[in-house]
Amino acid sequence: MINHISDLYGRQISSAELPAAILELPEVKRRPAIQLKPSLMCSRCGSRLKRSQANLPNGQYYCYVCIQMKRMDTLHDLAFIDEPNQFNKVSNALSWEGQLTPLQAECAEQVVRIFKKRQHHLLWAVTGAGKTEMLFKGIEWAVRYGKRICIASPRVDVCIELFPRIQAAFAKTSIVLLHGKSDQPYKYSQITICTTHQLLRFYHAFDVLIIDEVDVFPFSGNPMLHFGVNNAIKTAGAMLYLTATPDKHLLTQVRKGHLSISYLPIRYHGHLLPEPTVIKIKGLSQGIDNNRLDKRILKMIRQLMSQQQRFLLFVPHIKDLATVATAIKDAGIIAKYDTVFAADPERLEKVGAMRHHELDFIITTTILERGVTFPGIDVLVLKADDDIFSAAALIQIAGRVGRSSDRPTGRVLFYAETRAANIRSCQRQIRKMNRKAAEI
Amino acid sequence: MTNCLLCQSSLRNTTSFDEIMSLAPTQARQLCEECAAKFFRLDSVATCDQCGRRLKAEMSNPCYDCERWQQQISFDFQNRALYEYNSAMKDYMKRYKFLGDYQLRFIFAKEVKKAVTRQKRLLVPIPVNAGTMATRGFNQVTGLLKGCSLVEALKTSQTVKDKRQSEKDRADRLRLIQPFELVEPQIERISGKNVTIIDDVYTTGTTIRHAASLLYQAGAASVIGITLAR
Repeated sequence: MINHISDLYGRQISSAELPAAILELPEVKRRPAIQLKPSLMCSRCGSRLKRSQANLPNGQYYCYVCIQMKRMDTLHDLAFIDEPNQFNKVSNALSWEGQLTPLQAECAEQVVRIFKKRQHHLLWAVTGAGKTEMLFKGIEWAVRYGKRICIASPRVDVCIELFPRIQAAFAKTSIVLLHGKSDQPYKYSQITICTTHQLLRFYHAFDVLIIDEVDVFPFSGNPMLHFGVNNAIKTAGAMLYLTATPDKHLLTQVRKGHLSISYLPIRYHGHLLPEPTVIKIKGLSQGIDNNRLDKRILKMIRQLMSQQQRFLLFVPHIKDLATVATAIKDAGIIAKYDTVFAADPERLEKVGAMRHHELDFIITTTILERGVTFPGIDVLVLKADDDIFSAAALIQIAGRVGRSSDRPTGRVLFYAETRAANIRSCQRQIRKMNRKAAEI
Repeated sequence: MTNCLLCQSSLRNTTSFDEIMSLAPTQARQLCEECAAKFFRLDSVATCDQCGRRLKAEMSNPCYDCERWQQQISFDFQNRALYEYNSAMKDYMKRYKFLGDYQLRFIFAKEVKKAVTRQKRLLVPIPVNAGTMATRGFNQVTGLLKGCSLVEALKTSQTVKDKRQSEKDRADRLRLIQPFELVEPQIERISGKNVTIIDDVYTTGTTIRHAASLLYQAGAASVIGITLAR
């Protein structure tokens, strides 16, 4: 339930959730939650609705697509209040005292210019470039002028990792973290950090909207979330997309001139991206299905263990987790390890154990491909030629390696039966980035 | 291509071997096998004759709650439930009723229809109050009764609804005063008839017995209950 008028600033909430005292205020505006013409469409998520599925008794309709965020229906309106930007204009809001490299600083200046000019821009920066730090100047500028700012990501892990960093950098600015599993209540704040799903509750709110890891599921290829983004930003707002692996959709936008683009091909520590080594193994897939790993893989694991080198072991499918774990156990390798996948109820604990050096390695699906940093790690990918691993996923996986300046290199080993198109594309793109980096 | 109504996973290639071998036409499926398996049907286990609950080993038949009911009420009443009210059903009710995802009625509509039309009886659904109708937009019980001819002989009383039924504890519920009234023009249709009351969930049994007592007052020859869950 919404209790304070400020909860409606720049947001859109069903009138069913609002007490009469707020609904009757003169600044509250309303629009239909479901549009009947030209075709049945949800005003919040933009989904075209089938009448047979959306109908309620008595000629009413509801949206069955975004219903998890409280129902939109023809029985109620969407209520909103125009964003008033009720923030104090604070100069020097940035309390971060770190240093940017000259290249990062250049990028940070560019971000400020993009925000000032209200551009829509794609910042294509390699994995480990230090994207977050490059945003600080731009956010500082926005805070100084009383702008409302949002950083959204499709991945909740990214939001959770981002929140304390932004909070530390802008200690005096109001910041709220929103995601489906959060129990922190909504509060009108100058900076919002949220999942892209949460953007559906906003309406023409943000002067500056940053979307981190824009190419990843569930955002990529999800028209509902794209619709939400376009509703959440002000009509003349600035939009900044961040990723190391832009998808086709983004690059098309660039080509059509809807998006400007800039590259940052080099990591903050100045070292090149580690290039993957492909090891071809016949019958790899069949072996794994029978709880067997090729001796070259086992030898590598033993070598890593003897060097006390921690690593991530990627597999394409959840069912491979158990078979690979069994194969390692049966080979007599003694180590501390665990398996993890997206819906694993102990996911956060297991990732935490890896972070705290309580595990030597972790066998994982693509869930750990991005948004996580384990300093000084190596990666092994089994069945890298599997369709599950897109070229972007492989680039992100390779990007887990060599992120710290203490150990800016490391092993990226792709085990596969063939050098499939995804692997070739990944190698090509990494080499291209490294060539660009070498030119600098 | 259709998707599971609960988890959205695709329903392609999920026709089971048995279904292929049986010559019966394949039914349009609403749930994937994984979601469907989480619901527990009560038709193949021992249940209480009076309320339809699943009887655990140490429980008598009728169960202790129903023994108490027999001392408290003076009319005959038996309830049958199709499913156990387990966590999957609880979750279903949350989405169907409280989120208001009306299309989820399709998951059980066929089964409910089959159960209530097995005998020739007059079908009376438990009504929802006007406030719920205005915000939710549907009666969750009639939603499950697509294609059944209903006699809407009950309506909710004008008394102010202070708490949602689901927010009350057992003591609250048992104390509940008659929440329903008869709909005048329908009364004569009840007289002398065998009536089935339909509700979504049987929890303490108070609601459905209030409804039954009114229908007996209106002259029903017999009244039984069928609920989706117990």
